[in-house]
Amino acid sequence: MATLAREERLAFQDQVRRLLADRSTEAEVRRTMELPAGYDPSLWRQLAELGVVGLLIDEAHGGTGAGPMELELVMEEVGAALLCGPLLSSGVLAAGLLQALGDADAQARLLPRIADGSAIATVAITGTSGTWTPEGVAVTATAAGDGWRLDGEASYVTHGQNADVFLVAANAPDGLAVFEVATGAAGLATTALPTFDHTLRLAQIRFAGVPARRLAARGGAWDAVEQALDLARVALAGEQAGAGRRVLEFTVDYAKTRVQFGRAIGSFQAIKHMAADLLLEAESAISAARHAAQALAEGAPDRDASISLAAFACADAFSTITATAVQMHGGIAFTWAHPAHLYLRRARADAQLFGTPAFYRDRYVQQLGG
Amino acid sequence: MADVDTSQTPDADEALAQEVRSWLAANWSGAPVDAAGHRQWLAKVVEARWAVPRWPAEWGGRGLPDGQARIIERAFAAVGAPGSGQDRTNLWANTLLAYGQPELKQKLVPRLLRGEVGMCLLYSEPGAGSDLAGLRTRAERRSDAAHGDHFVVNGQKVWTSNAATAEYGMLVARTDWDVPKHQGISFFFCPMKQPGVDVRPLRQVTNESHFNEVFLTDAIVPAANQLGDLGQGWSVLQTALAYERSLMGEQARGPRSGAAESTAEEPLIALAREAGKLGDPLIRQELARVVAYKKLNALNTARAKADLAQGTSSPIMSLGKLAMSRILHEEARLRTALLGPESLLEGPGHPRAEDANFLSLNAYFTSIGGGTDQIQRNIIGERVLGLPKEPEVDRDVPFRQVRGG
Ligand SMILES: Cc1cc2nc3c(=O)[nH]c(=O)nc-3n(C[C@H](O)[C@H](O)[C@H](O)COP(=O)(O)OP(=O)(O)OC[C@H]3O[C@@H](n4cnc5c(N)ncnc54)[C@H](O)[C@@H]3O)c2cc1C
Repeated sequence: MATLAREERLAFQDQVRRLLADRSTEAEVRRTMELPAGYDPSLWRQLAELGVVGLLIDEAHGGTGAGPMELELVMEEVGAALLCGPLLSSGVLAAGLLQALGDADAQARLLPRIADGSAIATVAITGTSGTWTPEGVAVTATAAGDGWRLDGEASYVTHGQNADVFLVAANAPDGLAVFEVATGAAGLATTALPTFDHTLRLAQIRFAGVPARRLAARGGAWDAVEQALDLARVALAGEQAGAGRRVLEFTVDYAKTRVQFGRAIGSFQAIKHMAADLLLEAESAISAARHAAQALAEGAPDRDASISLAAFACADAFSTITATAVQMHGGIAFTWAHPAHLYLRRARADAQLFGTPAFYRDRYVQQLGG
Repeated sequence: MADVDTSQTPDADEALAQEVRSWLAANWSGAPVDAAGHRQWLAKVVEARWAVPRWPAEWGGRGLPDGQARIIERAFAAVGAPGSGQDRTNLWANTLLAYGQPELKQKLVPRLLRGEVGMCLLYSEPGAGSDLAGLRTRAERRSDAAHGDHFVVNGQKVWTSNAATAEYGMLVARTDWDVPKHQGISFFFCPMKQPGVDVRPLRQVTNESHFNEVFLTDAIVPAANQLGDLGQGWSVLQTALAYERSLMGEQARGPRSGAAESTAEEPLIALAREAGKLGDPLIRQELARVVAYKKLNALNTARAKADLAQGTSSPIMSLGKLAMSRILHEEARLRTALLGPESLLEGPGHPRAEDANFLSLNAYFTSIGGGTDQIQRNIIGERVLGLPKEPEVDRDVPFRQVRGG
């Protein structure tokens, strides 16, 4: 996979950081998360112009032509700023899946519109079991004339309510395949799911004889789904690492200024020691996420194990950091007005998406030969 | 980037890698069998200037930047040869080089690099552990015909690892009682083989006797063995401690038995399989957690080194020791859980139980020695995260007035 030179990569990360510092402030996040769509179209356009939305897409299709290492760094910023939007759905999962499938026609049709942000695509994989495994797929495909029809159900579809295009994993008579479905297709019913993390959008989708186009798969279709999921896992790991680091920063700042018993609470060891432990969590998450990104970019022998490690280590770290941060703040963090709960909610959501930490721990042991 | 140093170009890197690899190919023929062989090997490494590549040439170095020194270290590591990277890891030689007087440096630095000098740390005292600056061992300056300019040292040290075999101890002692506690301390290389130094072994929880009590009674330390200025010992100590802690974050002693642990597989997974518990879902979760701690520490260390090579210092360096202490305790706990009642046993007939039991005790070497986990958290909180210090009642008082304990 493609990789930029180190300086280029850091410069790109810096541009993203500055855009988000300006446009994804806490006030903006709070405003955006209450919008029905859950994202700000003007910021989305800016992200597309900067090359973030099309980060993984080949330059031939109007993208940036970067790879997992750039993605991970960008997602650290996205997590820190709690960006609301379909980046993971459209720019990572859908773009990644289309590139992995290798259906040239679909790529030419869809990738340029994904890259420039004019179309939002998402990927429907799991049914209500929420397992993101082949067994979790709950849509079936049957041939109908020249085309195909889909029946069944997909759930936890990120930004499903905002999508112009769905890429749907479904069981066809000859095995699992990926299908393209346009919003507004007959027999398609999309229901927004209420989410605990208000910065996230999830939908449930029912298929009743929905006409669909079957996409060619260069390798196996599930292999392609796994490749897209690997990108999403690395992206999510970066998001969690970046967000965790930010939470620790503002928590430590608070501990330096909040005074009780005539001194800053950060001088109490009960608080100081929690902060020291969280620094270890935060730095370990960064290491895990960056290592996974590099292993994926280089196709290293430890690629799969590194991705599993990042998946659970970053989820655990972000969860621990946000949970402890609330405790370190005291009552102020129990208010809606304080940002801690926004991160706490994101941490709880990220820890479930595309597989739980327990799932990845088990997979990690397996990948190490156990 | 106008003034690119040509010694750091990829070509120079490749040439260096070539040079060290061919030197190793010509000279390294596997691990020496005994201590004498080990020392001979180190002497060769020093002779060829691979031991301390970051140091200046006059001290056996090559004046290389960190990135290139790493190339040498990696080449040594690749064939399993010890002795390189001592400019990073040899706590004794680094401390002496930074603070020693010329005469002592000439005398000891080369011997330290060749592994010829047994060393120990005379820091802790019965009344001064975490609060090391509260130490009460006394060093008084004298001059006479028999010993020239020297210090006479009186006091007691404790928990002194390897004191019995040491030729020198790095000693902190109080030279001024009328200033606050951190300001009256001086740092010395104390000769151990003399009548004034009495070493008494202590039996450890592990049933070994690596550490000792050391009684200093009119022990003589030549004035030439003072490191740093009089009363400036605390800052010398900080340098020495930083080397010690960073090492403790990277490595720890493994199972005592050294019993058949294949390097191909993570030992914990192999043990789980042997114990018939690899299919237990709860055990699998624990395995992942503990193996991850190890892997994450290695990744953190690698990232810190990369940062260092890029010229930025990294907060991660100070996290390693705390991380290692968690790894060791958790690993021992998991080993014990895998063995179950077998861990009740000991002795040569039960090597797995021996390992689990030894490791669960020896984990405290890292969580107490070199500064406890609690002290480490204070340091990370204060020096890395910038949180305010705890008020200290005895910080600014002349030491004479400070309460002992
Ligand atoms: C295996 C081993 C080898 C050693 N080798 C050497 C050696 O070679 N040379 C040498 O000089 N020393 C050595 N030590 C000594 C070691 O450095 C000390 O044991 C250590 O610094 C703690 O001091 P202490 O034992 O006096 O405990 P104390 O300082 O009395 O601590 C007792 C408890 O109080 C806690 N505590 C103390 N102060 C604070 C604080 N400010 N905040 C929070 N908690 C606090 C500690 O964390 C600990 O839990 C060794 C120790 C061990 C276990």
